[in-house]
Amino acid sequence: MIAKRNDALRLGTLSPARVLEPADGVELAAALAAAAAAGESVVLHGGGTLQHSANPPVRYDSAVLTTRLVAVHEYEPRDLTIGIGAGMTLATLRRMLAEHHQVLPLDAPFPARATIGGTLASGWAGPRRATYGRSRDLLIGATVALTDGTLAVCGGMVVKNVTGYDLGKLYVGSQGTLGAIVRANFKVLPAPPEQRLAISTFEDDNRERVVAHVGGMTVPPVALLIRDGFLALRDAPRPEDIDFRPQIVALFEGSESTVDRAMREYRSALGAAGVAETRILTGAAASNGFQDVLDEYVALAGAVSFTLLGRGLPADAPLRSERARTAFPSGGERGVSVETIANLLTGDVVARVRAPAALDAQTLAAAGAAVRSAIGRAQLIAAHDAAVPHVDAWGETPSTIATMRALKERFDPQNVLAPGRFVGAI
Amino acid sequence: MLSSFASRLLDALGPDVVRAAPEDLAVYAFDAYSEDKLPSAAIVPHDAREVAIAVRIARECGEPIVPRGAGTGLCGGAVPSRGGLVISFARMNRIVELDVRNRRARVQPGLINLDLSAAIAGAGIFYAPDPSSQKISTIGGNVGTNAGGPHCLSYGTTTNHVLGIEYVDGNGALHHTSIDDSGYDLTGLLVGSEGTLGIVTEVDVRLMKLPEAVRVCVAAFTDVESASEAVSAIIGAGIVPTALEIMDALITRAVEAHYHAGYPENAGAVLLVEIAGTHDDAAAGEAALAAIAREHGALSWRAARDQRERDALWAARKGAAGAIGRIAPNYYIQDACVPRTRLPEVMHAIDAIARDHKLPVGNVFHAGDGNLHPLLIFDRRERRQVEAVVAAGTEILRTCIAMGGTISGEHGIGYEKRETLSLVFSPDDLAAMGRVRDVFDPMRAFNPDKIFPSGAMCGEVKTPAALGTATA
Repeated sequence: MIAKRNDALRLGTLSPARVLEPADGVELAAALAAAAAAGESVVLHGGGTLQHSANPPVRYDSAVLTTRLVAVHEYEPRDLTIGIGAGMTLATLRRMLAEHHQVLPLDAPFPARATIGGTLASGWAGPRRATYGRSRDLLIGATVALTDGTLAVCGGMVVKNVTGYDLGKLYVGSQGTLGAIVRANFKVLPAPPEQRLAISTFEDDNRERVVAHVGGMTVPPVALLIRDGFLALRDAPRPEDIDFRPQIVALFEGSESTVDRAMREYRSALGAAGVAETRILTGAAASNGFQDVLDEYVALAGAVSFTLLGRGLPADAPLRSERARTAFPSGGERGVSVETIANLLTGDVVARVRAPAALDAQTLAAAGAAVRSAIGRAQLIAAHDAAVPHVDAWGETPSTIATMRALKERFDPQNVLAPGRFVGAI
Repeated sequence: MLSSFASRLLDALGPDVVRAAPEDLAVYAFDAYSEDKLPSAAIVPHDAREVAIAVRIARECGEPIVPRGAGTGLCGGAVPSRGGLVISFARMNRIVELDVRNRRARVQPGLINLDLSAAIAGAGIFYAPDPSSQKISTIGGNVGTNAGGPHCLSYGTTTNHVLGIEYVDGNGALHHTSIDDSGYDLTGLLVGSEGTLGIVTEVDVRLMKLPEAVRVCVAAFTDVESASEAVSAIIGAGIVPTALEIMDALITRAVEAHYHAGYPENAGAVLLVEIAGTHDDAAAGEAALAAIAREHGALSWRAARDQRERDALWAARKGAAGAIGRIAPNYYIQDACVPRTRLPEVMHAIDAIARDHKLPVGNVFHAGDGNLHPLLIFDRRERRQVEAVVAAGTEILRTCIAMGGTISGEHGIGYEKRETLSLVFSPDDLAAMGRVRDVFDPMRAFNPDKIFPSGAMCGEVKTPAALGTATA
């Protein structure tokens, strides 16, 4: 095991005293048991792309990196299943699957850094989930290192399985507070033969018509987003060139004939709504363009910014995003602005709050609370360090918190794993 | 003379809800597995409040609690093996809320699976999980076993369609979970937990848009192995239709004799395929699948001409286990799952195991998922045959495990397979599951003797005391 100190792994105000890179699950489990015996705390690290989707830990003795857990345990392309180490990056996995015309649609930002373990632990559920399911639905088995030093397996390598409790679901979204995922098994999908990304800018006055027309399509896209802000700054080199108008982004996937038909229908729906121009990306440009959209979810902007992702009903998404943009009426004069992405198929609303460096903590916290109440049950997904102390990652505590605390207590009685990172200060 | 437990239930809930006479309790003693045991009392509640009251009384009296849907489970999951209280959801069978726009519904656990899809078909939507028992089995029971069905090849099993759950915990407190809540995914834990973690009183389900076009086709093969080769080749080619089902000659003949659905009676095996999507995709999918089937020795390929023919083929397939009742005195249906490339090999092995034990075997299974359902035919009056069925069943499970598979794809572990669970999972794996049980049900009051191996029996396979008739 290699040990090194690394301040780059700082979370909130704490840096780890030790950094461990276990070679495999057995070493990782032993490291957790040793930490438990010594009364120390451990925070798991993947690629760090979603580190702000949980609160900073309250204790932080060791950082455990999954960089060496990159084995391909099992991959029989003809079974459409794969079992891999948790430290493998999404980009590596994507390349490996692409050789066999297969995909795993986890849709996480920054796949060159994001790891399988981190994506699962953060509970990330990307914009295509209305079509392909969430990471919890694609996971068919896992091996997890627990703080008593054991490695516990659940599920398997088959696509249908009711053999014991479905513990994979418990670990997904648990932010590394119950155990460390060391291996994950997934069902993978045949890659769609055709992929096209359509991006259209429209006038704000037209918003309702746009939403109504694209909502009635017989062949819907796999992702359908309305963006207010986000890409605008990056696209425009000079501030005076910024196009503040909303955009609708649609990703179509499937056979060529079905995608052709869907595109025709989509363009005619947009035409009927008064949208004149649509930029269409095909092939690699489409998938790169879609990845750019995903990366924007967690990109930071301006002096101080933080981004919340709220879940709710698809039909309400446009309304909730509008409320988020106007949630902080006095924000304008203090330089606070809110950008949103509304997912019309899943109901997710992403809201990025941007503030000037000089903004006081109280106003920053108030902006967060206002946006949160606008978009529904919301989790922090990205934040500048300066914003972290003022915006809780979790917001509202669920009514089942007592059961969650009991699960934490039973899986990690010494509170070794990521203390304080989870909801309700777990 | 009523037990004090039954008296307390009667006092609290009244005779309309509580059953306590032995003749009234007999129907709650068994499910489609062979074991039975009379409970001390049963309730047929109207709502979650009555469930919670009964749970509190059971807890105070130290009585175990077993939830019950329609009793179609094949693994004894609804058998009150230690007596106690059975909660039947026969009356809690309503669609509480339907949100067509957001494609979701809130339903009570006693709602019959097919009744949900039938009620919403007019809105162009459906509930995807479709176990063969869907005409009788309930959403609550389906949640308990994470039920599958032929169409989960493309749509996933029950767990992929449950958005939230309302449940009563061991103290009689009511909770609501949602997969959109922050925190641990309690919804995902509850689905497939076979009533061992709490009593589900409401389910939020995801609904799907009905496809524009559906094609149902039947291919005839000389034997199950070649049909299985075709299925492995279809999946291997990256084509995932909505259903890929195989029936062998024995099942096909029984099904045709009963349903006259149009299956080729002289085939050694038939492959039932469903392709759904746009008109273009369904047409292209059929062409691609037919080509692969022919390459793998399909003797014929026929597409159902209309909805009536499609329905007839499906009704016959879903009624297969029942149709076997016409030709077999008793049968024992297994449920196991293997990686899909291993299908031809495992079918060959099952055939050999059945021959070794001199038992006729029928195979009707969700081939596209690698989910097997060998039906071992026997006469329960013949002791040798009963022993042979138990031995062959265990051998089949061991074979599937050795091929990287597992011992249940969709029926659950229940009472029947709990000792077999330790063939799949190590004590450490089971201990992790036990931690969850400790949190939800420290007294082991919810559905005792299910899923987990009994401590003393860890690591060995138990022979069921008696093996009886199973019905689907």
